[in-house]
Amino acid sequence: MNDISPEHRTARGAASAAPLLEMKNISKSFGGSHALDQVSISLRAGQVLALCGANGAGKSTLVKILAGLESADEGEIFVDGERAEISSPRDSAALRLSFVHQELNLVPKFTALQNMAMGSDEQGTWGVLTTRRVRRQAMEVQERLGYRVPLDTRVEDLSLSDRWMVSLGRSLMRSGRVVAMDEPTASFTDEEAQRLYGVIDELQRDGVGILYISHRLEEVLQVSDDVTVLRNGRFVTTVPASSTSRRVLTQHIVGREVADFTAAVADQETEPTEGRLSVQGLTRAPKVLDVSFDIGRGEIVGLAGLVGAGRTELARLIVGADAPQAGAMTMDGEPFAPSSPHEALVDGVALVPEERRSQGLVLADTVVANLNMAAIGAERRLLRPFRPRASTVSAQRMIERFGIKVRSEKQNVIDLSGGNQQKVVVGKYVVTGPKLLILDEPTVGVDVGARAEIYGLIRSLADEGMSVLVISSDFEEFAICDRVLVMRSGRLVDDVPAHLAHKDHLTSLCFGTSEQEQIA
Amino acid sequence: MTATIEPPVSPAEPAQPTVTRSGSSMRWLGRYGALLVLGLLIAVTSILEPETFATTDNAINILNQSALAAIIAMGLTFALVTGEFDLSIGNVASLSGVVACTLMLKSDFSIPMALAAVLVMGFVIGLVNGFVVTYLNVQALVATLGVGTVVIGLNYAISDGSPISLDDPDAFINLSFNRFLGIPYPVYAMVALGILLWLLLNRTVLGQAMQAVGGNPVAAELSGIRVDRIRVIAFAVCSACAALTGFLLASRTGSAAVAAGDSYLLSAFAAAFFGSAVLRDGQFHIIGTVVGVITVSVGFNSIALIGLETYYQYLFQGLLLILGVGVGSLARRRAAAA
Repeated sequence: MNDISPEHRTARGAASAAPLLEMKNISKSFGGSHALDQVSISLRAGQVLALCGANGAGKSTLVKILAGLESADEGEIFVDGERAEISSPRDSAALRLSFVHQELNLVPKFTALQNMAMGSDEQGTWGVLTTRRVRRQAMEVQERLGYRVPLDTRVEDLSLSDRWMVSLGRSLMRSGRVVAMDEPTASFTDEEAQRLYGVIDELQRDGVGILYISHRLEEVLQVSDDVTVLRNGRFVTTVPASSTSRRVLTQHIVGREVADFTAAVADQETEPTEGRLSVQGLTRAPKVLDVSFDIGRGEIVGLAGLVGAGRTELARLIVGADAPQAGAMTMDGEPFAPSSPHEALVDGVALVPEERRSQGLVLADTVVANLNMAAIGAERRLLRPFRPRASTVSAQRMIERFGIKVRSEKQNVIDLSGGNQQKVVVGKYVVTGPKLLILDEPTVGVDVGARAEIYGLIRSLADEGMSVLVISSDFEEFAICDRVLVMRSGRLVDDVPAHLAHKDHLTSLCFGTSEQEQIA
Repeated sequence: MTATIEPPVSPAEPAQPTVTRSGSSMRWLGRYGALLVLGLLIAVTSILEPETFATTDNAINILNQSALAAIIAMGLTFALVTGEFDLSIGNVASLSGVVACTLMLKSDFSIPMALAAVLVMGFVIGLVNGFVVTYLNVQALVATLGVGTVVIGLNYAISDGSPISLDDPDAFINLSFNRFLGIPYPVYAMVALGILLWLLLNRTVLGQAMQAVGGNPVAAELSGIRVDRIRVIAFAVCSACAALTGFLLASRTGSAAVAAGDSYLLSAFAAAFFGSAVLRDGQFHIIGTVVGVITVSVGFNSIALIGLETYYQYLFQGLLLILGVGVGSLARRRAAAA
């Protein structure tokens, strides 16, 4: 992006004109904690502004406010110098703000054209004429992007990057002024990413303002004109991309000078534990690439990484929820290749999933039924008698041990608080007595008190010899870990011993600032 | 397509639900409202027609009328509990009667052999349903509609479209009309199967797994439950019950008409959905389904005894379904809001 187009220069030169988009002093808090605190950003026509920050820095919240999905507690938004009220996605669409998310909201069974038509301003009746007009419009959009997607192919048959282009194309059907792109290249190949950069150039030349959110700092530096860094919900700085480096950006993101931890390798000799799970070269492209590590008996291992680094995908491979393309595992020295979570559970490996409501619980069922679900799932013989009284007793024991606050064990889990629901999900797997427990974001949406209790439980389980793998985006949580693995873009890039596993160091490793590229 | 017809409850503040007076009475209405309907129905008709309705003979008659509908509806309950649908049950029942009579007439099958044959057939059709739904990943509604239509085709291929009557139907007919301790055999079949299926659903690992799959298939899968296998078994149980119904239906007349069992499809769905509002918060269960079937039978019986026109039966059944499920759902929502 070194050759900046003339139009672009003009746009940049016209500093006196009102910015295309301005967000001023935006604050937003969720239950007492500040997600955003007086954050301001400004975007000119033809400018690419990157938003950077660690997990939870407030980037997504800012974009959600702009999209009308969340409402700000304080602050103002100006579009073309005029104050804008955005209280719903409809409002933001009317202001010609477009959003292209990772989770593409396309209809898989519709063709690319049909999907793009949904973004069209042509709200006329569905006659032949309109279709033709929409098609012409779609062609124009593609012309403008310099990128063609087969319009009559169903979206489900398109590659991920083509789908993304359809989604982008759809947002441009409405002649967007501002396009916000959230982690666009997360599942792209290099070549596809290059094509995206070309498209961004085109958009810039057309005077579209682009808000670019990405964890990949090299990419940010290549694509954007300016970079705004957020940290813990606060604005840190905005710097021109041309005058900064990955290292400086990481410093801003982390919040202080990043020490060089290359010496970490020497410290890696933690006390040797009896091996339990050994993973060799586990691969499922593009999210998990050649991952190898070991977990010992009674060891708590953290798995750090940015959102989208492939941590959940790795966990799903370990329990057989997805099939690996390559690699092998052993449990206690025995080959371990589960083809379903059932088999993993039978072999003593359980995954406590990330989404407790959609993946963990039957909300309309009782605490007892939920606590027994994994025990039912681990049972091979389906006609084996189910004893309600015994299951109630085992549930009560778990309720007591985990300190789950219930009025009665027959209460529906939907009535429990987030922390207690989480304890039910963890408890249901612990009931089966696993040898390895994988916890994916165990404390999301859990209040501070329950959080500490959950840490205590994890510690006590490990003391009994259970091995634990904790995935978390809240790096402070890794305080309970014996060591922390770091994943970046599908690869395991570091193995950090406990005494070095503090938040700042892990964050910089996640952004790839440390020189260490492989586990020594 | 989940087994619960619970309205989505807003995730806001799940902390401590305060139980208010209106909340608890609403909850009561949601759970016992459907039973209240049955009680009222019995009370009113008993007052209106004390001599004909409130008699032991009529009670037995009503149970006998309910037996076949209950068997097919209990089977359907398995599919519904697992979060699936089965639109082929009526067709399977029809085919079952035709196959049973054909085997007895043309191949000299004994009655038990014919029964075993149609049960196996029903089971296999259920496996096909389950395979299409899980392996081919076709929606249950579409899959069972397709399989059901194929079943109609087989039925016509076997029967040539005309009813099949046994030459010597007495022994077969006796299955439906013989009584033990004054109660006809089909009632025993209903009770025995009801107990068996209740045990299967509530006292086995399989039944618990089915309820988990119906409640949240993703959570069930991640809890180690083999979701696809469970679904296939549910379809198989459902179809086998439909085949049993068809067999018993044919034994009433000693002959099988090509479409004899078709009408059970809608009544089974109506009973199971009405039953989901009985005692439980919108979950399908065996006892609820049986109550649903009996409520419909009592209603039909009352309509006949009071001397109302036949069309009242449809009005009654339709309204019962809508009110039973609708009021239950509304009451629960009110209870949750209170």
